[in-house]
Amino acid sequence: MTSITQDDVLLILKLLDESNFDELHIETEDFKLLARKHGKGKGLEEVVFEDKKSSRAPRIEPTSAESQVPNLSSVKFTESDSRAQVAKQALDHSGATAGLIPIKAPMLGTFYRTPKPGAPPYVEVESWVNEDDPVCIIEVMKLFNTVKAGVRGRIAQICAEQGQMVEFQQTLFLIEKIHEEKDLPKASRA
Amino acid sequence: MKRISSLLVANRSEIALRIIRACQGLRIRTILAASEVDRESLPAKIADRVVCIGPPAPTESYLKVGTIIMAAVGTGAEAIHPGYGFLAEQPELPEACAQYGLIFVGPKAEQIRQMGDKISARQMAKNLGIPVIPGSELVQGLPEALAIAEMIGYPVLLKAAAGGGGRGMKIARQPEDMKIIFAEASAEAHAAFGDGRLYLERFIPNARHVEIQIMGDRFGHIVHLGERDCSLQRRYQKMVEEAPSPVLSADLRAEICQAALSLAHQIQYENAGTVEFLLDQDEGRFYFLEMNTRIQVEHPVTEMITGIDLVKEQIQIAAGQPLRFTQEEIHLKGHAIECRINAEYSHRGFQPCPGRITQWNAPQGVGIRLDTHCYPGYFVPPFYDSLLAKLVTWGNNRREAVARMEKVLEDFQVSGVDTTIPFHRFLLKNPNFIQGVIHTRWIEDILLKEYEQPERDHLC
Repeated sequence: MTSITQDDVLLILKLLDESNFDELHIETEDFKLLARKHGKGKGLEEVVFEDKKSSRAPRIEPTSAESQVPNLSSVKFTESDSRAQVAKQALDHSGATAGLIPIKAPMLGTFYRTPKPGAPPYVEVESWVNEDDPVCIIEVMKLFNTVKAGVRGRIAQICAEQGQMVEFQQTLFLIEKIHEEKDLPKASRA
Repeated sequence: MKRISSLLVANRSEIALRIIRACQGLRIRTILAASEVDRESLPAKIADRVVCIGPPAPTESYLKVGTIIMAAVGTGAEAIHPGYGFLAEQPELPEACAQYGLIFVGPKAEQIRQMGDKISARQMAKNLGIPVIPGSELVQGLPEALAIAEMIGYPVLLKAAAGGGGRGMKIARQPEDMKIIFAEASAEAHAAFGDGRLYLERFIPNARHVEIQIMGDRFGHIVHLGERDCSLQRRYQKMVEEAPSPVLSADLRAEICQAALSLAHQIQYENAGTVEFLLDQDEGRFYFLEMNTRIQVEHPVTEMITGIDLVKEQIQIAAGQPLRFTQEEIHLKGHAIECRINAEYSHRGFQPCPGRITQWNAPQGVGIRLDTHCYPGYFVPPFYDSLLAKLVTWGNNRREAVARMEKVLEDFQVSGVDTTIPFHRFLLKNPNFIQGVIHTRWIEDILLKEYEQPERDHLC
């Protein structure tokens, strides 16, 4: 039997998210997963994932509103399968591991930095943005979808090119988050 | 000569892989449009490029015309192959392709529309002198349904005007049934196709499903590639297909093929298509059912007996090339049979069974073909249909093809998910199947009753 990878966990979480169930417990010999849709507090969700075989230090995944499982606000991940980690890093692009928050494309389409041709771009590198500030437009067959920052912070990097196609979940911007107390993700249990 | 240099595959699973391989043979660069969950699939590994088009839910990815078009335009693809299912029979896709200067590998939007409306297709067949099952035009309501059913005789089949693929069909055996079944069928048709319109047909109990493979180019050449017999069905879903049909006489075969050709000529059909017929075994007559304007799941059985790569031909025809063979140059050789291996628990009402495949020991050898995207370690996602593989065997005659299939099924080992392999093993041993004495409801009415006995009975 192959061990359970991070991809599997993401898939399980997605299944739970789309199901009518609120809570999920999975426990095998060397693996335990507890996931709740509507945990304690203000609708925060918490996931504990342990691989008892692993003796390595816990690895904290970056979390944000744009993470792969959108409704999760706190994920603790201990994982020994390095292959899954490599795959995950490739998906997230370089910046995510450097403490930056990615803004990802909510759909496939053409990436535009300006509201209309000739207008100044919504944002530049070093621009400060609030959660609801538009940062770009993605066009799908003449339908224009405005993408909002979703997080407060400073634009650290623009990762997509004007007028080029971006894929679903492709990183568009990297944002350096403002570190106010209330913005910090809820610390997960050890 | 016209050539396509890059093609976007707007599908997943075994058919995506099948299209990519055909493209490789034509030296066409492939771009796979994949949902998030399919990004690491086998077709994704083999395609030259993968584009993530959205989340796993088909309505958010594979069914989005705009997204598929943008994916093709954004990657510089010249053509789109829709495979089967998803957008294959949505006229909006070829229309959008034309608008964006892309080649659609399939028929024209207009031809999809003409055949997509089952009532107008039926009328067209009728006008051409092709027999259709006695029945009605659109039924306006229950009183009319009752009157028509009285006229054509019970039992009758209620069918969705926008239907196809066996969905939205119900049998009414007597007038008392009609009231409930009419409402049910209409609601079901509405849910499945967004169109609750129904029509009525006489129900033919001892029937076989026989379909003719058609191929046409834009220069008006249309050929048929013989028939496939797809009578082994469960709830109108095909489980086993074979070619040629074990029961069709030479005369009837010639007649059915001629009928299919005349319908295809009527709409100047372009690319691959299939005209489906019902064969009444009691009366020795055939009736037009519908035409599917796409490549079908079971196309490999035709490829095995003709030696023609249908997907390759589709792409070349779409590029504007003429058909490369005449009717006289098509020769049918031997017999082929296909078993659909699904991720389903056959002992529990064929309940879908997604999960991780831990063992996938696929047979190989002379006269064996396996179209699949599965491998050990592959996770079968729960978002799509349950087809894992199409196992096809070929023989010089039916007996040889069946014997080979039986052997190959014994050797085919899959663990991690339940599959329909045990059901196929059981079916292949059945004397009625071996002798070819079956009909479209035989699996449900007879075989499954024996099969659903507890497994230990068979072990004794």
